[in-house]
Amino acid sequence: MHICHGVWVPGSGSTFDNEGRFVFWIESDESTSGHKTGDHPNHIADPDRLDSFLESELLFTTTQVATLDCDHTPIYMKLPGIDNRPLPSFEMAQLKGDYLPDDFVWNTWRIQGLWIGQPLLFLKELQFMSSYARSDIHIGSDLAFWLQFAQQFRNLMHLHQFLPVMKCRHSGTDISTGWSPGSGMYERTLMDFAISMPDVCKAVSKSNSKSTEDSRFECISGMDLLRNFSENQVDRLVANTPFTKQILNQVDRTWLASALDPVRTDSSEKLENNGPISVEQWKHWRLWQSEILGRTTTEGDEQVSGFVLGIRLSQIDDGEDGSWRLDFFVSSTRDPSLRIDLEEWWQLSDNKRNRWLKHFGQQFERNLLVSMGHAARICPLLWQGMEEAQPIGVDIDLPLAYEFLKNDASVLESAGFRILVPSWWTPQGRKRARIRINAAARSKSTGTESSNSGLFSLQSVVDYRYELSIGGEVVTAKEWRDLINAKSPLVKFRGEWVELDGAQMGRMLELFQDQQYDTDSTTMVDLLKHIAESDSNDTEFVFNEVLDHVLQGLLQQEKIETLEQPGGLAGVLRPYQKKGLSWLATQESLGLNPCLADDMGLGKTIQVIALLLHERERLTTDKNSESETIPPTLLIAPTSVLSNWQKEVERFSPQLSCMIHHGGDRADNASALADAAAANDIVITSFSIARKDSKLLKQQTWRRIVVDEAQNIKNPKSAQAKAICSLEAPHRIALTGTPIENRLTDLWSLFNFLTPGYLGTASQFRRAYETPIKRESDRSRANQLQQLVRPFILRRLKTDKSIITDLPEKLEQKVYCNLTKEQASLYQAVVDDVQNQLEELEGIQRKGMILSTLMKLKQICNHPAQFLQDGSAFSETRSHKLARLNEMIHEALEESDSLLVFTQFTEVGDQLNTLLREKHACPVYYLHGGVNRKRREQMIENFQDPDSLPGIFILSLRAGGVGITLTQANHVFHFDRWWNPAVENQATDRAFRIGQTKTVLVHKLVTLGTLEEQIDKMIEEKQALADSIVGTDENWLTEMDDSAFRQLIQLNRSAIMEA
Amino acid sequence: MAKMARTWWGERFLDVLTISMDVGRLKRGRSYAGPNRILEFDINGHRATATIRGNINPYFGVYKEPRYKVSVQFRQFSAKQWDEFTKSISHNAAVISQLLMNQMPTNIETAFSNVTLDLLPRDRKDLIVKCSCPDYASPCKHVAGVIYKLASLLDRDPLLLFQLRGMEFAVLQKNLASSPLGQALIDQFGEQDPELEFHTHRYTDPRLETKPVTSLKSFWQGDSPLPTVTHTDRSGSVPAILIKRGDEFPQFWHRHNSFVEVMEKIYQRIIDKNKASL
Repeated sequence: MHICHGVWVPGSGSTFDNEGRFVFWIESDESTSGHKTGDHPNHIADPDRLDSFLESELLFTTTQVATLDCDHTPIYMKLPGIDNRPLPSFEMAQLKGDYLPDDFVWNTWRIQGLWIGQPLLFLKELQFMSSYARSDIHIGSDLAFWLQFAQQFRNLMHLHQFLPVMKCRHSGTDISTGWSPGSGMYERTLMDFAISMPDVCKAVSKSNSKSTEDSRFECISGMDLLRNFSENQVDRLVANTPFTKQILNQVDRTWLASALDPVRTDSSEKLENNGPISVEQWKHWRLWQSEILGRTTTEGDEQVSGFVLGIRLSQIDDGEDGSWRLDFFVSSTRDPSLRIDLEEWWQLSDNKRNRWLKHFGQQFERNLLVSMGHAARICPLLWQGMEEAQPIGVDIDLPLAYEFLKNDASVLESAGFRILVPSWWTPQGRKRARIRINAAARSKSTGTESSNSGLFSLQSVVDYRYELSIGGEVVTAKEWRDLINAKSPLVKFRGEWVELDGAQMGRMLELFQDQQYDTDSTTMVDLLKHIAESDSNDTEFVFNEVLDHVLQGLLQQEKIETLEQPGGLAGVLRPYQKKGLSWLATQESLGLNPCLADDMGLGKTIQVIALLLHERERLTTDKNSESETIPPTLLIAPTSVLSNWQKEVERFSPQLSCMIHHGGDRADNASALADAAAANDIVITSFSIARKDSKLLKQQTWRRIVVDEAQNIKNPKSAQAKAICSLEAPHRIALTGTPIENRLTDLWSLFNFLTPGYLGTASQFRRAYETPIKRESDRSRANQLQQLVRPFILRRLKTDKSIITDLPEKLEQKVYCNLTKEQASLYQAVVDDVQNQLEELEGIQRKGMILSTLMKLKQICNHPAQFLQDGSAFSETRSHKLARLNEMIHEALEESDSLLVFTQFTEVGDQLNTLLREKHACPVYYLHGGVNRKRREQMIENFQDPDSLPGIFILSLRAGGVGITLTQANHVFHFDRWWNPAVENQATDRAFRIGQTKTVLVHKLVTLGTLEEQIDKMIEEKQALADSIVGTDENWLTEMDDSAFRQLIQLNRSAIMEA
Repeated sequence: MAKMARTWWGERFLDVLTISMDVGRLKRGRSYAGPNRILEFDINGHRATATIRGNINPYFGVYKEPRYKVSVQFRQFSAKQWDEFTKSISHNAAVISQLLMNQMPTNIETAFSNVTLDLLPRDRKDLIVKCSCPDYASPCKHVAGVIYKLASLLDRDPLLLFQLRGMEFAVLQKNLASSPLGQALIDQFGEQDPELEFHTHRYTDPRLETKPVTSLKSFWQGDSPLPTVTHTDRSGSVPAILIKRGDEFPQFWHRHNSFVEVMEKIYQRIIDKNKASL
């Protein structure tokens, strides 16, 4: 377990040049070997491991690392500790399940870190790489802080919020030059970030003095630290910039030349070139700087009052050309709604003015004049409005108004002035000249369309017709041409102002004339792609009624028309599940291949089953194709859920038949498979078999391919993904419970299965989307990608408002799994052994034997290692139940949910505690009988802390069954079953109590074909049994007669599954 | 030919030379504006005086490097004219605003048709010059040198023109004080001379503070969530936007090419060359 930390170490010492260092260090849960006193005992100090960490653990490339300019360096940090040891960081403690004490002292520790020469580059790369890093590597809050700050800092740089500066050295009049960030935006950034800076960022010790205990925490001022970091970075950026001869010539013999010169040491030559900077020059620079930055910005805290000058453009009559006006107004910096036109201002009485001045600040009128001057420098037009003692604005004509809108307005706005323009100029209100594409679904009255279904068929194609439009209104080519010929960029068209670009309109006209007599047709997929990729500035879509209806359903999923629950479904679909069914059916009817990505527990299985029933129901109502039969659906899922699928199909729809294609006795040739498949509606197989039997499966005709846990095909190069993608069927569905939108390569792989080519080739996709979005945070690309994929993905969260109302407060589900071969043979051996003894033993011995048998069998169902007690590996491959638990925990954690795991065996609890800690980088707590009260309370408090990471709480049924509240969890797993449902429910209620705001999902793991399934059946029928019979322990079972007991424990061999 | 003044008013100021001198003298005059030639220079009230290093010229019988005394002054306006002028500018926001920004108001001459005051010299009669050199022509190249020097000073301090035309600073202040706009300008005069600030370090040297640490959680994770960062649109940003609030030729900028223009290039270059980090 590693936590990555980052520290900005400001330069120390007495020299003027105090360059700081960014140091990356790694806290580890292993202890540092051979550390000396004063060394932090838990971090990676070994130079070789430090060097290779970025490459080996964070997956940086060698070239990336080379450009970062790294070196080792020791740093000294003041950290809280006890007993002469530093405490682990909060993140480490959480992940390790350690508890931080209430009392501690401050010590200085020496830490070996990587000095990163290019911090901005490093932080940018890290942001990108950390999403690929292994799960046992965490970014600490301090490093996360710098990642975020660096991002905002980049914004400041891109907006040129920095200036050349002069600094006078203390020693005298030796003035040096450099660069520094500055501006109101910079100051606001500093304030915002200083407040949220974790103290650990400020804990660098200036001195290297050896550890002295201190009860107080003396640290660096956060605001100063941010300034120091920012100033260093700006200088570094300039130093990294090679300037052209041309630029250098244009600054020759000015102090700016030395500010551009990265080589500071070589000052003699510089002096020769530029001469020393005089005090007078410094003063000129200082005045210039304060003019630019304003008087109040140097000390951020003083900026309590102030104003912003605003300029408003409006039309003052309705003419074709119109008279226009620019008016000045001012508004308060703090509260922009406090706004007054200058026209009104000059009329105010002194009294009233004084009231405004409280908001606008001191020396308002002078500052106003300067502000107006600044604005007029950018937009010289404004000088005309200032030729009087009390300026209020200026009258202008149409060309000037257009010029203002087109150029000056945005420059003024980015210079910090407030600009108001007519609504028809704003992006929302703007009328555009565009090519309009009229898309219509070709209606096919083949009778296959039952009008009430609202769906149209797979073959339906979309026709295109082109028109020209302005502001949403169709115009003729003649009108269009007239507008081009008017040669005015701003014209009044049908009573509204429209900006027109003649050249662009000319090109659009040509395009239109080429296409106007064509009636193109296209498929739904291509239409969706076209909509997403087209530029709304020059293209608009208009749909006919049918198509509009269909698209609304696809683009706004909540608007989809809901189908009725199909007959033959045992159980009732919840409203959102009906929507899901309707959505799946709509997608298929349009020839689209969807991905259902609902949260775990919302019932993806039942929605798919309902779809199959719906499909069959429609076929029977459809007279034309009575004879047609539907080929089977191939369902590919992880081995651990195969039986669960089968069980669910049996449960929800006895009328659908299904088979599992898995194991050694599966059909091994095409005709055998065809025979078997013909008799079934669903063939269930595993990912590994889908790969192994790829040839065989390809020969079979499938109605559709459903991939459950679609993240299993996320590596498109794997043989598994290739095999599955090569299977052919009219329909494809992907199911997944983990969020996919944010992992772009996974998203591509998903679509590579669903609709190959829709997102381009992998390398096209990387170029067009992944790189711009991840690296450059390109928002328009991200939006476009969203638009592309949104119609195909239905993802509903348990926490969605509309879902919550559909869900009960508690949702229970069985999770069925199989025995592995190893488990089965152990199980059979125990059962065989019992057969013989049953007849021989009597009385107390018989009782004892029965109880110990039950215990052994339960242990085998859990895991062979638990039964064998031989210290063998508690691995997932030996128990499907364990594998399934782990998969589901992974999914829950991905959804940021916390969870409880109950078991009745301490040895399982111990093993789970170790295994889950290894597998999931999240806090893991384990409460068993041996935990004392204080620690128990700490665990509960940590787990319940709403700010803590989502975590796992393992409880032994006996220790954790009563009295405690763990409402932070909304998943409860019962790893093994107890005879009495009341005991299980009591355990479940740890999460399901007052204070729980989410739906609690209860997952009971049941091993098929074993006594666990029998226990489950008995519990299901518990209403039939009086509580008096089913006691809280297993004693009553010993009263069973031999045959009943045999039946209880017997192994159903068909439920064995190879891994 | 490179321009000798960078501002429009500096150039207009020099026009008086072009109309009163021949091309040859004018050209030679340029070389007399630099520190090599001007040994002493002083502006006393409305009169500029200078000592200029001349050339050895055996043809004229000059065998030892000569020193010439030059004096330059301009036609004065009467107190009454000034009075009317200052009153009228102190009611014009555009004029005061530009003066506040150390710029000669663009409308300084045209805006006051009622006050016939040509602030910038128009013809030879506006110029009263003396030089101790033997050149028969007046103005001579030495005078031209001094006027070039004045033009470069005017570039940075437009109010100097007021002084050269006989407006005393004290009187100017008094006249301006009668209007709120004028008062704003006077207030700024007082701030023209900032105190030199000293720094022990190039970068802000962080202060130490003692902070109460409320809990270990807040020590490691902070007390409030990180501010959200929105990705700013980079395509539409205006280059050197901060710089554009200031003068195209700030006082510290002695070159003739625009400071704002070269800064635009510099900013763009810095961002372009650091793409990987930004």
